[in-house]
Amino acid sequence: MREIAGHWPGRIFLLVLALSIIIMGVLVAAGFTEMQVLLFGWMTMPLVLGSAFVIIWLIAYLIYFFKFWPYR
Amino acid sequence: MAFDYLALGIFSLVIIFMAAYGYKVSAKTAEDYMMAGRTIGVVVMFFFVLFAISSSWTFYGFPGLLYLHGPGYVFFIWGSVAGFAALYMFLGPRLWALSKLNRFLSPIEALSERYESKTLRVLLSIAMLAFIVPYVGIQPLGVGRGFEALTGMPLWVGAAYTSVLLVILVVLGGMRIVAWVNIFLGMVYVTALLGSLFWAVSVIFPDAGLVQAAHELVEISPDKLSTPGPLGEYTPTLVIGTFVVGLLAFAWPHVVIGAMTARDKTLFKWFPLLIFIFGGLFFYVIPFIWGSLVAPAALPGVTSVAEADSIVQTVIQIYLPRWFAVFVLMGVIAAAVSTAAVQLMTSSIIVARDVIQGVLKPNASDKQITSLARYSVAGIVIVSLSVTIFVQLGIGEEAMALYLTDVSVPGFAQWAPALVGGLLWKRGTKQGAIAGTAVGVIYLILGLLITGSGGERFLLFNLHPVVPTLPLNALVYVVVSKLTPKPSEHIEDIFFTEVEDYLLSDRSAK
Repeated sequence: MREIAGHWPGRIFLLVLALSIIIMGVLVAAGFTEMQVLLFGWMTMPLVLGSAFVIIWLIAYLIYFFKFWPYR
Repeated sequence: MAFDYLALGIFSLVIIFMAAYGYKVSAKTAEDYMMAGRTIGVVVMFFFVLFAISSSWTFYGFPGLLYLHGPGYVFFIWGSVAGFAALYMFLGPRLWALSKLNRFLSPIEALSERYESKTLRVLLSIAMLAFIVPYVGIQPLGVGRGFEALTGMPLWVGAAYTSVLLVILVVLGGMRIVAWVNIFLGMVYVTALLGSLFWAVSVIFPDAGLVQAAHELVEISPDKLSTPGPLGEYTPTLVIGTFVVGLLAFAWPHVVIGAMTARDKTLFKWFPLLIFIFGGLFFYVIPFIWGSLVAPAALPGVTSVAEADSIVQTVIQIYLPRWFAVFVLMGVIAAAVSTAAVQLMTSSIIVARDVIQGVLKPNASDKQITSLARYSVAGIVIVSLSVTIFVQLGIGEEAMALYLTDVSVPGFAQWAPALVGGLLWKRGTKQGAIAGTAVGVIYLILGLLITGSGGERFLLFNLHPVVPTLPLNALVYVVVSKLTPKPSEHIEDIFFTEVEDYLLSDRSAK
């Protein structure tokens, strides 16, 4: 992690990950997961929110680890 | 019934054969037995780690809790996925490199050398063993419950069957075969879990599948489709807290030790990809759908924790053929054995390398500590089986999901400040690590044991155990480290400069 925090792409990567956690917390606090809405007729909001969170981490990881990670 | 015994017999023979083969091909050294000779590649590592963490809990405790409380508990999974990925992205490369360069065989050994402290080695060893051994015991208990539900045999029969398999696998095979066997076990488990879901949905909800299940749930119990759930428990505070507890998965000792067995640094570049795609977006979604959607729509009205824990198996037994229920039980055994085997390996390494060679018998030879690790496996299994005995006698608490999140995870979290600080913070000191860990562990134990008449944990302010204990641990670690002399330049060279140079060089990619 020291190598990641040591350069700008890494700091942006960490910022994206941290922001995704904060935004998820804000959405939970705002009652997003309390909505009884079913995406595609069966996906509950906790599943939708969590899947979106994992996808954001996945995209950020792919970009950073394959283009910028110093040990790649 | 004869088919049940035949299927389970063949299943156990496959595992025993693999363990025996592993013993034959192993190099008979401590590094080979404990670290798989540091030869684990990315695919084997993925199965090794995913099924080290996907225990029978994913079949019983997790869907059981979702069934009772709605989907809020899934945030533990989202946190865990991020936590496991974080371990391999942020800590794994450094831990692997310094262990390889210095031939460390346990993460506790690495930390005791980093902090130059035998006291810390003893403290961490005792703390990790205390929280991991009961968790090992939960796995045979889960299988015992499956045996009981399917065949009517007492709980201890399934538990004993699992324990014997475990001892043979770990004693003979060591870390390499435990990792390889996890591929076989993982495939059995995924097939059973996914196959049972597809089949059950097609039988119970033939018109529109999951959409039909969701619509039926809207009619029966719409509260089960959102937070805070039918009992109102999963408030935003608890949901966020559950997520944070999941994040701490990066400190589970049996997962941390996996990072030390990697073949080279490229593993750390590829591993998170599998965790995100196969773990986060596929594997954990299966028990989620089972527990939050299919089971409550198929069998509504269950209110007891024990019955909810077995809800997936009950649905399978009611709606699917008996032979398939036996196959699913095999999947549960696979999940239990794959997790408990890695936990057993980790525990035996801590006993042999850290407690015996590290403190009691420093001159023990390579051969002696390998033998000691093997003997300790049998001892740990016997101790962990007390969990089953307590439950069989009606003394123990059966809420498996809550044991994991309320006791084991907060316990594992107590070495997190020393671990993270030791790998990433040059200023972290021996005194800080000892003080922080001791304060966190003692506070956690007192907070769990001293309760009010209604069971309220007033020392923990009725919060999740990790919420007050971990920040206090981390605070004490940082403050005491700042107040004590910084580690020597020699330590900084070994644990930071050399590790960074090695990771930047081509040598670490071979």
